[in-house]
Amino acid sequence: MIRAVLGVALAVWFGDAASAQTLTMMKGIDAPHYDAQRTTWGPTSDIVNMFQDTLVALDWDGKTPIPYLAKSWTASEDGRTYIFKLRDDVTFCSGKKFTADDVVYSFKRLKDPAIKGPFAWRAGPIKELRAPDPYTVEYELEEPFSELLLQLTMFTNVIHNRESVEALGKDYGIKGADGTGPWCFVSWQPRTEIVLKRHDAYKWGPSMYKNKGPVKFEKLVVKIVPEDSSRVAAMMSGQFDITHQFPTQFIAQAKAFPNLVVTEARPNFQLLYYGFKTTRPMVADRRVREAMSIAINRAEIGKAILQGNADPAYTFVDPDALDFDRNTPGIIKEDIERARKLLDEAGWKVGADGIREKDSERLAPKVYYTAGGNSSRVAEAIQGYLRKVGIDWRLNPWDSTISSVKMAEQDYEIWSVVVPYLSAGDLMNIYFDSHNIPTPNRMNWKDAETDEWLKRGRAALTETDRAKYYALVQQKVTREHLWMPVLNINMHQVTNRKIKGARPHMIYQNTFYKGLDASL
Amino acid sequence: MSVEALDTSLVAEPGTGAFARAGVLRRLARDRVAAGAALTLSTIVLAALFAPWIAPCDPYFTDLTKAMQPPSAQHWFGTDNTGRDVLSRVIFGTRSTLMLGLVGVFVGGLVGGTLGILAAYYRKLDGWIMRLVDVMLAFPAILIGLAVAAIFGAGLTAVVIALVVATVPDVARVARGAAVGVMGQEFMEAGRAVGVTDGALIWRYLTLNCVSTIFVFLTLRFGQIILIGSALGFLGMGAQPPTAELGMMAAQGRDFLFMAPHIATIPSCAIFVIVLAANLLGDAFRDVLDPRLQT
Repeated sequence: MIRAVLGVALAVWFGDAASAQTLTMMKGIDAPHYDAQRTTWGPTSDIVNMFQDTLVALDWDGKTPIPYLAKSWTASEDGRTYIFKLRDDVTFCSGKKFTADDVVYSFKRLKDPAIKGPFAWRAGPIKELRAPDPYTVEYELEEPFSELLLQLTMFTNVIHNRESVEALGKDYGIKGADGTGPWCFVSWQPRTEIVLKRHDAYKWGPSMYKNKGPVKFEKLVVKIVPEDSSRVAAMMSGQFDITHQFPTQFIAQAKAFPNLVVTEARPNFQLLYYGFKTTRPMVADRRVREAMSIAINRAEIGKAILQGNADPAYTFVDPDALDFDRNTPGIIKEDIERARKLLDEAGWKVGADGIREKDSERLAPKVYYTAGGNSSRVAEAIQGYLRKVGIDWRLNPWDSTISSVKMAEQDYEIWSVVVPYLSAGDLMNIYFDSHNIPTPNRMNWKDAETDEWLKRGRAALTETDRAKYYALVQQKVTREHLWMPVLNINMHQVTNRKIKGARPHMIYQNTFYKGLDASL
Repeated sequence: MSVEALDTSLVAEPGTGAFARAGVLRRLARDRVAAGAALTLSTIVLAALFAPWIAPCDPYFTDLTKAMQPPSAQHWFGTDNTGRDVLSRVIFGTRSTLMLGLVGVFVGGLVGGTLGILAAYYRKLDGWIMRLVDVMLAFPAILIGLAVAAIFGAGLTAVVIALVVATVPDVARVARGAAVGVMGQEFMEAGRAVGVTDGALIWRYLTLNCVSTIFVFLTLRFGQIILIGSALGFLGMGAQPPTAELGMMAAQGRDFLFMAPHIATIPSCAIFVIVLAANLLGDAFRDVLDPRLQT
C-alpha cells in the first residue's frame, strides 16, 4: 500500500516515466561542476566518464590498464618517456576529429597553475609533451612514475577539446563540455538533473565491453534525489532504471524486490576510516590512537549498521588491491582489555563520570565527518564502543557543502571520510606524503622516511621495487595507527530488471563507467 | 479575532490579576479534556524529571548484536540501530525536548514581555522596539536555527537561541497590546499623581496586570515551540549523538522506516502526545481566563 502510494506520488513528482529510448539514472548528490580537471569530487567523475574519455581504460579487475583512446604504448627503459599511439577514428561530440594536439592541450591545461588541479599529480611529473604526428604523443616525465598508466585511467586525465574549453570559458563544465565519450553533454540543471544524449559516431569502446558503440539508448537522464527513502521508493516503483547510490541499509529489500536486480562491484576499493590529527595533544600518543582502533568491533558494525554490506577493515589497503602488503594484517588486533591497558599506560585515568581524564582534561576528542548516510551511523556506533573504555567522542557532523572546508581546519582531533582508491600506492601517496599537509594529509604526518619510500615507490622501474617501497610505507603508517580503518564499503548497482548488461565497475565509485553494454 | 485584542480585554477588569480570581483550578478540573491533558503532561514531566531512576536501561549503552529489535518484553519500545533501548532514550529525550520548550518559552517570554511592556510605557521607545520586533518576525525560526548552527556549530545552544528569537517578537506584541490597555486605566493616572516611581508603576501596576495575558499566550505557544525545537533536532541542528532528543531520534529512525518503523514512529508519537497535551491545556487556560468566554 505504502509502495503504491509512493509510486503514484513519485510518478507525479518526476514527470514522464522512462521511455524505451531513454535510460533514467538516479544519484543522491550533485557536483559543483563537470570540469574534471578542477576537482576531486566523485559526483563529477561518474558523469565525466560518460561523456569524456581517457587514453587508457581500467579493466574489470581494477588493476589492469587497457587501450582506449591510445591503442598502444611503449615506455623507455629509464621509465621517463612513454610513446602513445592514438586511434585515428575518434571524433568529439562536436564532430571535431581527435588528434595528438588534444592530448597535449589537455595535460598542459591540467598542469596549468591557474587551473589549480587538485589531482594534477595523477598525470605524473610531466616534463614535456610532444605530438610528432597527429596520432602519436611523446609523454616525457621529470622522473619515472611507476603508476602512470593506472593513474591515466582516472577521470582527471580525460581528454578535452580546446575549442570547447575556450568557447565556454568560465562556463566550461557548467553549461557544456565537449568530449569523445559514448554520451554527449546536453544540459545540466544543478541539484536537479543532467541530460546526456547518444554519441552516434562512437565506436571505440574499450575491449572490456562487448559493445564497442554506440550506446543502446538515445538519451540518458540523471536525476538528483538526495533523500535516501525517496531513492528507495523511486527504484521500487520503477521510476528509474539504474542507480549506484541505493542506500546500503535497504540493499536487502532491493534484493528481495522482484523488479530490481542488485549487482555488487568486485573488486571495490572504498575504505571508511577515521584519521588522527597527530599534532593535537589528545591523540599525539600512539597508544591512545591504537586503543581507539582496537576497542571497537568492526564485524559487528558492518553487520548491524551496514546490514552486512561492508567488510571489516583491519588494514588500510584492501587485500585485493595492487601492492597490498601481506605483513600488515595482524597489526590491528581488536582487544578491549588491551585498549584499556594502553590508555592507563598513557596516563588517562577513569574519572567520576566514567570518562578518562589526564591533567584535568577529559579524553573527549572532537570528531568531524560529513552528516548523513553511513558516516553518521558508524560514528555513533563507535562512540558507543569507546564510551565503554572511557573515551567520549564528541561528534561534529557537517553538511556536505562545508565539510571539506571544516576538515581543512586544525581545530579537531579525528575525522572520517570514505575514500575510493586504485592501489596501495594511490592511497599512500594521497594521504601520507608530507607535501599533502594540511589536506588530504590531515594527520599532519611529516616523516622523512615515509616521504623517501613514497618517492622511491613512485619512481620504481619494476613492479617488485614499487611493491617493496609501498609495503614499507603501509607497515609504518599502520604501526603508528595514523588511521583507524573501519570498513571496506561494498558498492552496489541497483537496476530495474528490464535493464540488461549493466555490469558495475569499481573505478572511483563510477559503477556505470561507460555503460556500453547496458540495454533493454 | 486577534490575539492582541483578546489579551487586551483580559486586563479590562482592573484591580485584580486573572489568577486571583477564585475557581480557576476548579473550573479546569471540571473540564475533562483539560484534566486529561494536565494529567498526561504531568506524567511526562515527572518521567522526564526522574528519568535516571525510571529508565530501564542506560540510554547511551550500545549493543550492536541487539540492533533494531522490535518491541518486546525486554525492550518495551524495541531497540534502535545501535542497539540502544528506545524506551530509555524516549524518557531521556523527553527531558531534552521539554527543557528546550521551557527555556524557549521562559526566556522568550521574559525578554519579549519586558520589551512589550517597556514599549507601552515609554512611548518614545515604542517605535524602535516594535520595528526591532518586526525585523525579528521576518526570520523564520528554522532559518535562525540553521544560521546559528552554521556559525557556532550544531547543538542545543543553537536550538535554544532559535527558539528564544522565535518567541520574543510574538510575546512582545501581545505584551504591548495588553500593556497599552492597562496604561489607559485610571489607576495608572492615579499612581502617577501620587508620585509612584516609574519602576513601581511598571512592575506593580502594569506588569502584574499583564502577566495572565502573557501566561495564556505562552501556554498556547509552548506546543509550537516544542515542535520547532523538534524540527531543528530532526534537521540535525539540535542535540548531537549520543544525547537523546526526540526530534533527532525521529530523524535517525527515518532511514530504517522499512525495516524497523518503531525507531522513528515512537519518538514521533511522543512529540505528538506532548504537543497535543500542551495545546489542549493551553486552550483550557484560555477558556478559563478569558472573560469573554465566560457566560
